[in-house]
Amino acid sequence: MAASTETASAFPSPYAIETPPGCEGWEEMYPYHALFHEARRDVDESRFWFWNSMHFPLPMPAFDMACVDSPYQALGVWQNRVFAVPPAMGIDYRVVNGYVYITGNPVTDPDKIAERAGFFQKRAGYYYENWDELYEKFKEKMRALIAEITDLHVPELPEYEADEVAFEDDRNTSFYEVLAAYDRTLRCLDLMWQHHFEFLLLGYGAYMTFSELCKSQLPDIPDQHVAQMIAGIDVLLFKPSAELRKLAKLAIDTGVDGVFAEGRTPAEIDAELAESEAGRAWLEALEEIKDPWFNMATGDGLYHFYRSWYDDPSIAYASVVGHVRALRDGEEVERPTEELARERDRLAEEYGALLDEETRASFHELLQLSRTVFPYVEEHKFFCDYWFLTRWWNKVREFGALLATHGFLEDAEDVFQLGRHEVAQALDELVLTWSTGGAPLGPAHWPPIVARRKELLERLGKWTPPPAIGVTPEAIYDPAVIMLWGVTTQRVQEWASADEGGGRLTGAAASPGVVEGIARVVIDVEEIARVREGEVLVCPITSPAWAPIFSNVKAVVTDIGGVMSHAAIVCREYGLPAVVGTGRATAQIRTGQRIRVDGSSGVVTVIDG
Amino acid sequence: MSSGHIRPLTELRRSDAAAFGGKSANLGELLSAGIPVPPGFAVSAGAFGDFVAATGLDGAIERAMARAASGTVEDGAAASKAIGEAMRFAPLPEAVRDELEERYRELARETATPEPAVAVRSSALGEDGEEATFAGQQESFLWVRGLEHVCDAVRDCWASLYTPRAISYRAARGAGGEEPAMGVTVQEMVDAEVSGVLFTCNPVSGDPSMVAIEASWGLGIAVVGGETTPDDFLVSKVTGEVVRRTVNAKEVEYVPDAAGRGTVRVDVPDVRRTEACLHEEHLTALVDLARRVERHYGSHQDVEWALARGRRLPAALAVLQARPVTAVPERAPKLSGSALSLVLSTFGAPSPKDERG
Repeated sequence: MAASTETASAFPSPYAIETPPGCEGWEEMYPYHALFHEARRDVDESRFWFWNSMHFPLPMPAFDMACVDSPYQALGVWQNRVFAVPPAMGIDYRVVNGYVYITGNPVTDPDKIAERAGFFQKRAGYYYENWDELYEKFKEKMRALIAEITDLHVPELPEYEADEVAFEDDRNTSFYEVLAAYDRTLRCLDLMWQHHFEFLLLGYGAYMTFSELCKSQLPDIPDQHVAQMIAGIDVLLFKPSAELRKLAKLAIDTGVDGVFAEGRTPAEIDAELAESEAGRAWLEALEEIKDPWFNMATGDGLYHFYRSWYDDPSIAYASVVGHVRALRDGEEVERPTEELARERDRLAEEYGALLDEETRASFHELLQLSRTVFPYVEEHKFFCDYWFLTRWWNKVREFGALLATHGFLEDAEDVFQLGRHEVAQALDELVLTWSTGGAPLGPAHWPPIVARRKELLERLGKWTPPPAIGVTPEAIYDPAVIMLWGVTTQRVQEWASADEGGGRLTGAAASPGVVEGIARVVIDVEEIARVREGEVLVCPITSPAWAPIFSNVKAVVTDIGGVMSHAAIVCREYGLPAVVGTGRATAQIRTGQRIRVDGSSGVVTVIDG
Repeated sequence: MSSGHIRPLTELRRSDAAAFGGKSANLGELLSAGIPVPPGFAVSAGAFGDFVAATGLDGAIERAMARAASGTVEDGAAASKAIGEAMRFAPLPEAVRDELEERYRELARETATPEPAVAVRSSALGEDGEEATFAGQQESFLWVRGLEHVCDAVRDCWASLYTPRAISYRAARGAGGEEPAMGVTVQEMVDAEVSGVLFTCNPVSGDPSMVAIEASWGLGIAVVGGETTPDDFLVSKVTGEVVRRTVNAKEVEYVPDAAGRGTVRVDVPDVRRTEACLHEEHLTALVDLARRVERHYGSHQDVEWALARGRRLPAALAVLQARPVTAVPERAPKLSGSALSLVLSTFGAPSPKDERG
């Protein structure tokens, strides 16, 4: 129970948070504007900030801040300057001990809200009315952008420029090409986030309205049923998993299934497969599904270390291992799509029938709209967060390689320890000294900075961020905060009253059922291969990219997310109990503990361990 | 030689409420809809009239009531006592008694029991139902066995029209009211292992997609009378999922007296107190029942039910009573409008349902 002593807030002040030992100076990794600064203490201290553990569960490497600035810029410009969502501008963020905290910028002046409503109605209306057509255009734009970032050439800096530079008028020297390529790389990221937020909020908005209608008329309807009525059946994000299941079946049919033993690495599996005819045939079949399905990422793509399945096939292989086992044990691993479709229509029919005539008409109309926008809500991740971002991080690696070649970095991967403006600085000096032939300072300047930052990230990773800081709000109104993060008034109150270290956590009841099992806390996607059959997955947030391993786990618990989060959707598909948005499951539960997950009531209990 | 005063429940419909009282008529209605109601028969209000006339009790009642109307509370109590005693010792009219005997024998054949235990309950006349409840004219006699005891119980039901409370209530309402009358329902007694109440909606939230169920060990009086905290379930009508399940400590239950007549209140043994008294299969059967009752009446109903000891589903389930749910909370304001206008209002654009300002 919450202590009832009168304090200003149940959450700590952002200005009272201590730096973990050995992490002094962590601030230098981040842009000046990302910090809680004394100059704006009056304002910032009285706001409610919550940890965006959904997108940023780990301390931020300096370069990855590009994937903080760019999306918040894009979200802001579409919500605030294009659609002019009446009560909400954009989202502000700050970094504390390496972790990203966010808060909404509300519009409170009623006249301003009314003024914005005029813009919003016209513009959002246009999107809803032309959704399918605009979504098709989105896919075209994204495919073009992905092609551009893939093909974008990062030039070498040669000993002598090519003849063309000398003999053709319009050729630039390599220094310009390098800087232009880097600039274009950053702009491509901005464009991707712009496309991403062009639709996202409107998509969630339609869903949330349908959900509100259901709940006002049917106050006890489980969130899961609302979600089930909308969720797509033939969703693109389930395809990779379906393809891997087919490959598992192929392995069994051709007798190479013995190769897929638990705990083996993809390299070991590949090596053994390569030894036999059937094994080689299997590898060829795998090759055929890679484009596009191996553009899935190993996690939500907002960190550079979430690679595509091309670069890190461990999830794909672990999934085949799981499917092989399930198929051999005679367990049904096929998604019962027809049954799901029938059930979804039956629910809609029966719930609709319980409403009065007028409301029923709105119910069905909103359901239709929600189903129209839902493919975007689900599929944009594949195009933006996975396909584009994994290629974009790889492009940044090319600049890292260039800097490493010239001694500015010890390893191409170290580029992610520099902020994007620092990389620009380093490239500036590189092309300058390459041009002049003078001795660069970079090789002495950057490596110690990189080393210190790696150490900082390691240490900050052991710190447990509070779910929220600042002043506890009376209510949450910001539609983006509610829709995208599932942070509602009720959730904030639960966070505020949670007794730290207790054996009980509450969250959203995302997928029904009660099970007990051994917890496996997975914070970093690299730990995913350690998940064993029958364990309960405890993670900050899962992404569709993790879906394949769901056939191996018994239940799922997450720190953040609502009933329409990917973890929730996938769990319902697989019939796994899930509790999402617990705030601190990964901090409070340890791997090896026995826990009970009640996906019907949203309660997780630590039993022992 | 039928007087027409007593008829099997299966023959009654809602429209018979004026003659047989609401309870009997409604049980007949439920039977006609295929709802499992224990077999039995109904005694009409006319039988009561014949009884009063044949025994000359009408004069005695009139005098006692006149005294009560002009007198004190003590006069009312004295009148109640006088009328009650006169009724209990007055013989039933022969035709009524014969017919009771015939119907009771019929029930014995139907239930294959020589002397079936029955529940004898008053069945207040149609419009009067709620008023009758208020005036305390709702008697129930449980585990009644044998013709003589059935006859006694019928007379006792009638006598309940003249409880002190009923008399003072009627006196307060003023003279000139019609003479009271009442039907009686006689049904096979369900040996309830578990009983309870269900609502075809959530009576607290008003959600029509839910069935709310309360259940406890033994006879329903423990639940209805609020003597024990029942187990509490909220089940989705649409999927059958149990949305809420609260198992409470059920401390007392009513069971048949060992002598086979009447009931006794006993402590529930410790081990069974916190044991859920309903399982998935029961909940499924109850939700199915709720849907059928609601469909038949076209409105939300409050249903008393019991699960008979030693029987399996579906035969174990018996409905004892169904009434319209009267106090459902106001539903949220209707949400209508185009999908677009509703979505815009989610984002805080002005619309009828906007509250954010």
